[in-house]
Amino acid sequence: MGILLLLIPLSVLLMAAAGILFLWAVNHDQFEGLDRHGFDIFEDSSGDNDK
Amino acid sequence: MTLSTISVGDMHCGSCVGKIERALQGFADITATYVNPARRLVLVEHGDDTDPVELLQRIEEAGFHPSLERIEAGSSGQRQMLKRLGIAGLAMMQVMMFALALYSGAFNGMDDADRRLMEFASLVFCIPVVSYSAMPFFRSALGALRNGLNMDVPISLAIFWAFIVSLANTLTGSGEVYYDSVVMFTFLLLTARYVDDRLKARFEDTNWALAALPERALVVGDDGGMTPVPLAAIMPGTRVWVEQGNQLPLDGDVAAGEAAVDESTLTGESVLVHRQPGERVFAGTMNRGPGFELITTAPVDATRIAGIAELASRAQADKPPVAKLADRIAGYFVPGVLLLATATWIGWQLVDPAQAFVAALTVLVVSCPCALSLATPATLTAAMTRLRQSGIVLTRSEPLEQMAHIDAAIVDKTGTLTVHDPVLTRVDWLHAADLGRDELIHVAATLERHANHPLARAFRKFVSGDIGAPLTDVQVVAGAGVQGRYRGRLIRVGHARFCGSAEADQHAVFMSVDALTVARFLISDAVRADAAAAVDGLKRAGIEVTMVSGDAPERCAELARDLGIAFAARQAPETKLAITRELQRQGRRVLVLGDGINDVPALAAADVSAAVLESSDLVKANADVLLLSRRLGALVELVAVSRRTRRIVRQNMAWALGYNMTAMPLAALGFMPPWLAALGMAGSSILVMSNASRLLRQGTRPQPQADQPTDLPLLPAQAS
Repeated sequence: MGILLLLIPLSVLLMAAAGILFLWAVNHDQFEGLDRHGFDIFEDSSGDNDK
Repeated sequence: MTLSTISVGDMHCGSCVGKIERALQGFADITATYVNPARRLVLVEHGDDTDPVELLQRIEEAGFHPSLERIEAGSSGQRQMLKRLGIAGLAMMQVMMFALALYSGAFNGMDDADRRLMEFASLVFCIPVVSYSAMPFFRSALGALRNGLNMDVPISLAIFWAFIVSLANTLTGSGEVYYDSVVMFTFLLLTARYVDDRLKARFEDTNWALAALPERALVVGDDGGMTPVPLAAIMPGTRVWVEQGNQLPLDGDVAAGEAAVDESTLTGESVLVHRQPGERVFAGTMNRGPGFELITTAPVDATRIAGIAELASRAQADKPPVAKLADRIAGYFVPGVLLLATATWIGWQLVDPAQAFVAALTVLVVSCPCALSLATPATLTAAMTRLRQSGIVLTRSEPLEQMAHIDAAIVDKTGTLTVHDPVLTRVDWLHAADLGRDELIHVAATLERHANHPLARAFRKFVSGDIGAPLTDVQVVAGAGVQGRYRGRLIRVGHARFCGSAEADQHAVFMSVDALTVARFLISDAVRADAAAAVDGLKRAGIEVTMVSGDAPERCAELARDLGIAFAARQAPETKLAITRELQRQGRRVLVLGDGINDVPALAAADVSAAVLESSDLVKANADVLLLSRRLGALVELVAVSRRTRRIVRQNMAWALGYNMTAMPLAALGFMPPWLAALGMAGSSILVMSNASRLLRQGTRPQPQADQPTDLPLLPAQAS
């Protein structure tokens, strides 16, 4: 079972990476206004697609 | 007199309300204090001698963190909570995997070195959960220690103790570890709290009355030019132009011309009112006629609509607080546990000092109120998920507990029991004409197609492709009706005067043939498809239904009779509120269902407030419950689900308390090894969760009834 000595610390590191990624996502507004984009189709497009 | 609005973000429970009220006693010139735990608001009415900062200090001394402005939705607090939750979730996934290995290792044998490796790995994941994710519980518990106990005290105690004990056992390499319980418990409780916070934040809006108005108004300059100006900057006496089809931005007097205004948002009466120069028109109503100019009479925060908003905000803050069952239990539970643990330790010191620590510790572990504190939130979350599947959205979780006690319902008529869709309910034939009745209706319908008037829609069913002869010289007479020539006769359809009738009935449309009034068409809003079934369902659930409308009595009577309910007509926002309060004074629990701004004060005061999908935004902002489906039957379902929820909460509470009450004496007497305590703790939580999830089962959902068309049938007077 010596392999556990490698795998378990590895899982700790992987989870730490996942945690850091999650914190980054929250801090960069990835979870803000999750419902908002569904309403985008109702907005008048102000871009170049107008005739 | 000043009204200070103070936001207290960390006010969670009914018991906090008492503390804050006590903290604010002793100010000489406070005339009224309203504490609203649901919106986490404290409204204080006070004289000029009191500095709001002093109020803040006093609340802070009571152990809270108040601020004079409301906490913004989606603020950093929410974000923080999401991070705590995410970290706890990630850690839980890992710790649970190690725990599985540890449990099977305990039964099947495991290398000591492997076991310790797993324990240390669990410890690594547990540290951020305890030191970061669980912080809100610790902070709240510390605050509570100074001001009376709440549920966070035993929660913190359990998390902290289980962690400390596990830590000690990991370091010494002997004894049980409870990391799995710590992370799971923290994660589940955080989830419930996060969901609750999100709901509260989403439906809080700093100034919802103003949010319902357009942002800017067109101010008319001296040269006749128009500039859009923010409402807050417009002083009384300003000339403002209102475009056709736009909302009136401010209260004012009509300056010139005739204004045709739909005031149904304020009065609930769905009639166009015509205002002459000098007459008052109100912000939030709709200009259905051509554009006109008004002279403002009040700043934006002193308009009629703002007044209603204020009334609503006070009515809501004034609602009797509902102490949460769990918090009440916590008041007895915590001292009891601490007492028992101490007594155990002392007792074993006398009998067998070597056992004293383990026994006292087991008491604390066994007393972990996981199941107790999960009992309510888990059930409420399940119920809310279940309701959302049926198109019922709760804006916060408290109404669910309230809903089960409701025994009276006040329902608005226009837009709630009815939909904004005029239908022809009756035709009265006044004089015989030499044209057939069938033919006359089709001619009227064809003529009305030209009219750009809300009531004209009532005729659309009767438009047939071919009416036998062409209509010529069709002409729309503004503010009167439509006329045209048919088979050589002058046909007019429109209001009474236009068709030569002496009657003045705002809700009827008349028809004349060559200046002879031949028919009167009675038009009313269509009844919502399942209104009758819904009212029946509520009555069967023991809820007395009353229709309260701003509309005229004669227009309420018929519908009330058809539905078999009592009604009150011509009610203003204030009297709707008064009716609600009167029922509450009689000890009734009142549900208010509405859609218009005139319902808002009553909605705010209600024990449970519900709004239909078509409601204006500010009504939705004040409602506890939104009915997303167009069926009123959803209300009946809400009542049923809330009653089942109450039953399940009670079962959960009984189980959790029963388990703790049985296990603790056993632990105190030393009959329970720590590993059994841990197993019982987890098992108890799982039982409570599975009981709650019974609410989610599909089979329990009542089949949606087929939509029966319940448009009022046309009476025989209609030509067949």
